[in-house]
Amino acid sequence: MKTMSKRAWVLYVFIAAFLAGLVVLFYTFYTNADSWAMKKANRHLYSSGTLSVAGSIKDETGAVLAETKDGKRVYNSDKTVRTATMHTVGDSEGYVATGVQTSYKDVITGYNFVDGIYNLKKYGKGNDVNLTINAQLCAAAYSALGNNKGTVGVYNYKTGQLLCVVSSPSYDIANKPVSSINNDKTGAYDGVYLNRFFSGVYTPGSTFKIITSICAIENIPDINSQTFKCTGEYKVGGSSVKCLGVHGTIGFEKALNESCNSAFAQIAIELGPDKLMATAKELGLGNQMYVGNIRLAKSSFNVTGASDLDVGWSGVGQYTTRINPCQMLSIVGAVANGGSSVSPYLVGKITSQTGKTIYEAKPGSATQLISSDTASKMNDMLRSNVKNAYGDNKFPNLKMCGKTGTAEVSSEEGGARPHAWFVGYSQREDLPLAIVVVVENGGGGASVAIPVASKTMQKALSIYVK
Amino acid sequence: MAQENTRKKQKKKRTKKYRKPVNWLILLIIMTVFQLVCAVQINMNSPDIPLTTLYIVFGAYIAIEWAYFIFFGAVLHRKSFEIELIAFFLTGIGLTLTTSVYPDKAFVQLAAVIMGIAVFIVMLWVLSDIDRVVKLRVPVAVVSVLTLVATRLLAHNINGAYNWIRIGGVSIQPSEIVKIGFVFVGAATLEYLQSTRSLTKYLIFALSCIGCLFLMKDFGTALIFFFTFLIMAFLRSGDIKTIFLVCAAALGGGGLVLTFKPYVAKRFETYRHVWEYANDRGYQQARLLIYSVSGGLFGLGIGNGKLRYVYAATEDLAFGMVCEEFGIIIAFAVLLTFVALVVYSIRYAVAARSSFYSIAACAASGLLLFQAALHVFGVTDLLPWTGVTLPFISRGGSSMMCCWGLVAFIKAIDVKTYKRYDKVAAESIK
Repeated sequence: MKTMSKRAWVLYVFIAAFLAGLVVLFYTFYTNADSWAMKKANRHLYSSGTLSVAGSIKDETGAVLAETKDGKRVYNSDKTVRTATMHTVGDSEGYVATGVQTSYKDVITGYNFVDGIYNLKKYGKGNDVNLTINAQLCAAAYSALGNNKGTVGVYNYKTGQLLCVVSSPSYDIANKPVSSINNDKTGAYDGVYLNRFFSGVYTPGSTFKIITSICAIENIPDINSQTFKCTGEYKVGGSSVKCLGVHGTIGFEKALNESCNSAFAQIAIELGPDKLMATAKELGLGNQMYVGNIRLAKSSFNVTGASDLDVGWSGVGQYTTRINPCQMLSIVGAVANGGSSVSPYLVGKITSQTGKTIYEAKPGSATQLISSDTASKMNDMLRSNVKNAYGDNKFPNLKMCGKTGTAEVSSEEGGARPHAWFVGYSQREDLPLAIVVVVENGGGGASVAIPVASKTMQKALSIYVK
Repeated sequence: MAQENTRKKQKKKRTKKYRKPVNWLILLIIMTVFQLVCAVQINMNSPDIPLTTLYIVFGAYIAIEWAYFIFFGAVLHRKSFEIELIAFFLTGIGLTLTTSVYPDKAFVQLAAVIMGIAVFIVMLWVLSDIDRVVKLRVPVAVVSVLTLVATRLLAHNINGAYNWIRIGGVSIQPSEIVKIGFVFVGAATLEYLQSTRSLTKYLIFALSCIGCLFLMKDFGTALIFFFTFLIMAFLRSGDIKTIFLVCAAALGGGGLVLTFKPYVAKRFETYRHVWEYANDRGYQQARLLIYSVSGGLFGLGIGNGKLRYVYAATEDLAFGMVCEEFGIIIAFAVLLTFVALVVYSIRYAVAARSSFYSIAACAASGLLLFQAALHVFGVTDLLPWTGVTLPFISRGGSSMMCCWGLVAFIKAIDVKTYKRYDKVAAESIK
């Protein structure tokens, strides 16, 4: 019997292997729990592929954007609000990856590894999420975009609260036009599941001149006394950078006002690829940015080894540069906020099923993107743009600063129309809001993007300044 | 002086080995409360289930438990009841799941449990006399092999395997019952191995059993038999080299089967690819993973799960059912009880009167743990899924009888020693 028990070590080996297996199993459960529980096949959360039980999603005023009633997901009563907030709230099938119903799935279902979905069963709903957006402002911005594809984003550059996030095309989430979307041949629903504000990247056009200017202010001490010649184009490397006007001899500030490509091509070439790259890096272009759980599309700027011609084009926001609207908004927000960039956020508060606040957003973390001196100089120039070029009458009562962009997306004559951009902000102490507008293939920034920005900002003024 | 020291050390060692037995009464009360809570939960969460069903199933089960403990503990003054406590605890969980998911099959399962306990008591009596064991060895071997052969011939194809037969309207899985015979014959033969001839005979027996299972395409059970055979062979011979050779041969054979029989390989196609096949062949496993983590550590409560609506939830997916409705903590505790059975067997093996008891207990507990491992790690996709049941928990009459029959081997190690146990314990107290 003694020999027998000596040989029992083989069983201990087996036990050890089994216990190791249990550890691996537990670890597998623990690390995969979130993604497994959130699978669409989980009938605790989904019925026929759509989210059926979860907490409510409200806007900053407490207006319900989505909630669960009697085991069904219901949305805001106003059709325009539903359509305007569809991308931010997220569809219940989960096609809009950046939607709160998808990217905060574990939060709104109240799932966690310890309790599983027990509380969801108990209370019939998950955690409630209060967003920072304002439904009425979103509706106004969506209407301002009209039938155009594009995006509007507004945020408070002092606190980081995103007040308006709108992407078009969209659809009424409560009455999804399934067959229209699936059989769409006109392109009216192209990228309908994409929230262009978070997931889009666009050629920035002249809005990039803000970044070229920042680089120039930082690196060329006498930039303000320099003058540039514009003959309607700037000849370089056997070809030329075209300008939309013939500006003659022009100074730095005036060049920005008039959005002179010739001048900015010369400035870019004078700065050279290294300095431009350094500024782009400083401003975070190319970095992976997040708004809470939401991952933004990466902007890209690369002029390493580019020819003078290409560097010239890059200085006016063409070449291979692509910028994400949300990131452009936060760069301009930094200029407005004395160089300090406050990260935008979307989720203001999370309340548990029992009514306990489990998360409350603190003002977004601030990083000094550029020196306050540079910011102040840039600020003056952007103010001068509106005052001297676009006209304050476009933005009554707003003390608006900004820059338009008309981003060429086709090199052929008669090709796709350019993207119309506007980025800017109000200097009013009681309305510290920055705005970005992109209208895809909309045409000129001043003629197409400014009216959208203007309508949206006027709505904001009426909401926040009584 | 040195001598006294060694004696003291020896005494200390012995005291350690013979711990005071656990107080069965307290544990029995705790277990009964647990089962009553299960019954109440079924009633609360599934009000459609007739109360009479609950009264009868849980009433009868708890009554049997108490009758067993009162008879053997209070009347016959047996001391240790760890094995029975584990078996009753696990059976109670299985019975709860069956009653909650298939209320109309609850009485059948209760009958199976009663038969299982009867098998346990009869087995304990059979095992009490080693001469009887030796006499029964050959008949049991013959009956076992014949049963498997008959099963292969009579069985209809169910889910690709031929391991179920119907007798008088009742479906039974003879390979489950044969597990008892396999351990019995193996331990008894190896105890009285006297000539190469009897070893050859034993090898023929083991190989015919495993061969039949292969022909039935019940690879899970074949693997369990093979593993049990290895344990017994090693405990008897202590020859690790031969065991390695056997394993290598088996692996090679398995590889050949996989190469030449593509349909066998197809069975393992979903391995590590459950989510890709989540809506066809990986359906059950994908649901098991989703719902196991949905239950959290403490479970959703009995009747509140969704895994129960998936095909064969109380059999193939029993582990997931426990995770979702009882919680991950209890699910892991269940798995640890199988480890406890093996540890118990090893610790008592040294005191067994005959190596028959040691080999039988280690083989039986090893078998149960191995089967639990195949079930749990298979269904959670850490190992290829063979579809074996979770001992005691999965619904099924044959497997219930098999499990209780197997724990009789583990218990037998102790039944034979309880008198000696008392003596040593008394000594160590002095």
